[in-house]
Amino acid sequence: MSSLFQSISRAAFALLPTLPYTPTEKTGCGGFAVKAHSLSARARTDGPVAFRDASFEIPCGCRTALIGPNGSGKSTLLRVLAGLTPAFTGEVEVAGTPPRLGQRRIAYLAQRPHLTEHFPLRLRRLVQMGTYAHHGWFEECFHGDTAVDQALFKMGLADLAERPVHTLSGGQLQRGLIARAIVQGAEVMLLDEPYAALDQASREIIDTFLFEQGHAFTVVMATHDPADLGRFDRILEMRGGTIHTNHACEGHDHRHA
Amino acid sequence: MLELIREPLGEAFFTRALLAVVLSSLTCACLGAYVVLRRMAFVSTALTHSILPGVIGALLLGISPYAGALVAALLTAAGAAWLASREGTSEDSAVGVMLSVMFAGGIALMQYANSWRDFAGLLFGSVVSVGSSDLIVIGSTTFIVLLGLRLLHKELELASFDEEYASLLGARPALMRVVLLALVALGAVSCVRLVGALLTTALFVIPAATGVLLGRTVPQVMAWGVACALSGGIAGLYLSYYFPAVPSGAGIVLCCAAPYLAARIFAPRR
Repeated sequence: MSSLFQSISRAAFALLPTLPYTPTEKTGCGGFAVKAHSLSARARTDGPVAFRDASFEIPCGCRTALIGPNGSGKSTLLRVLAGLTPAFTGEVEVAGTPPRLGQRRIAYLAQRPHLTEHFPLRLRRLVQMGTYAHHGWFEECFHGDTAVDQALFKMGLADLAERPVHTLSGGQLQRGLIARAIVQGAEVMLLDEPYAALDQASREIIDTFLFEQGHAFTVVMATHDPADLGRFDRILEMRGGTIHTNHACEGHDHRHA
Repeated sequence: MLELIREPLGEAFFTRALLAVVLSSLTCACLGAYVVLRRMAFVSTALTHSILPGVIGALLLGISPYAGALVAALLTAAGAAWLASREGTSEDSAVGVMLSVMFAGGIALMQYANSWRDFAGLLFGSVVSVGSSDLIVIGSTTFIVLLGLRLLHKELELASFDEEYASLLGARPALMRVVLLALVALGAVSCVRLVGALLTTALFVIPAATGVLLGRTVPQVMAWGVACALSGGIAGLYLSYYFPAVPSGAGIVLCCAAPYLAARIFAPRR
């Protein structure tokens, strides 16, 4: 019965023209993952200026730490790069184009993701949402399972795939969201304090993925942990509403090429 | 016992109402899953209550009551969205304002049409009032709603669970919300004859709330919701057949509450 329904809907979806969420983008990182020039933004449209005149560049494949005290504009900068918050002056390019919504090459992980509580969803389905970036309107995902399985395995979640999302611990959920970004195939990962409130095990799994496996993606991570900084290739310090230091990131331009 | 079940089926009006209950159960329970999961119960109440001035206005103007009801429901949704767009008015209070204003307008119009009794069926539903033209409206609504939910399943699920990720991917969560409100308005309008303007909201909320207690995925929530709505709806119809004093809307809602209560007590904790 259910297989009959599935084959009928498969046929229906095959007949439907699929409108992509966004036109296909060209792939490949053209030297710089992020290029910002005198960027200023507010956290809220009527709020105070979060940072102004920020100019910096992040080469492809570079692991960048974004440090600074609370309220220095780290989160707003990441949201601007993700295309969620508009900048009111300056220019910025992420993965070769100005940030806008509907770009599958950029993944963003909020400090506190606003997920609907007690939503009936299994972990596998959450991770599968990353594949939507490669589908369009009306299309149901009947494939992409290998990528989902691999991402779950990488994040040490293979055994939890069928668990309801609201029964996961904070660390498991965070790893699930990173697995979703892996499935999305993002080239630029924007992470807002991903280690806040994580246990050691979750932290090590995420660390291994971000720092030790030679993946060809760029990381921009807001962090408060000074012990961490040694592992990053570049450190951007935000203080008093502007970017202060911009340590060089040498020889990482095409380190995974 | 079997005779008690079979007897009303001989009546044409009862089979029509039965068909209407089946179609409305599908519509309301499936849509209700999103209404409940997204905590839109209050908005759906406002939409269903605003049907009252729409229908009475349409009767006074001599146009189709369905058209009047749909216009009124869409007006409520648009009005609430406009009121809430100004800072200082929360969406909650905007919906509250629209709900009470529309309902008060309906009561004022009722005085013009000067009979309360004619409108009892409109408020609480009536088994005998479902005609074949109503069945066409209900059937096409069910078709549109189920098709919309099926085609936009992954977008609606994503936008309801993680709005920010939906906008990051370009899946337009704000548009999805509008689509959902429009479908709720359509669904509410289609079952006003059967359940009545005051009680339609229950058909969105109670079955889906049962589904949330029992289902682990959105399709499961919908399936349990449909089961609850179907059993409650059919039982309620029989109730109002054998106790003609009970309006069909009241009967259906009371009978839907039984499976909800059972699920609330016996469903395993998740």
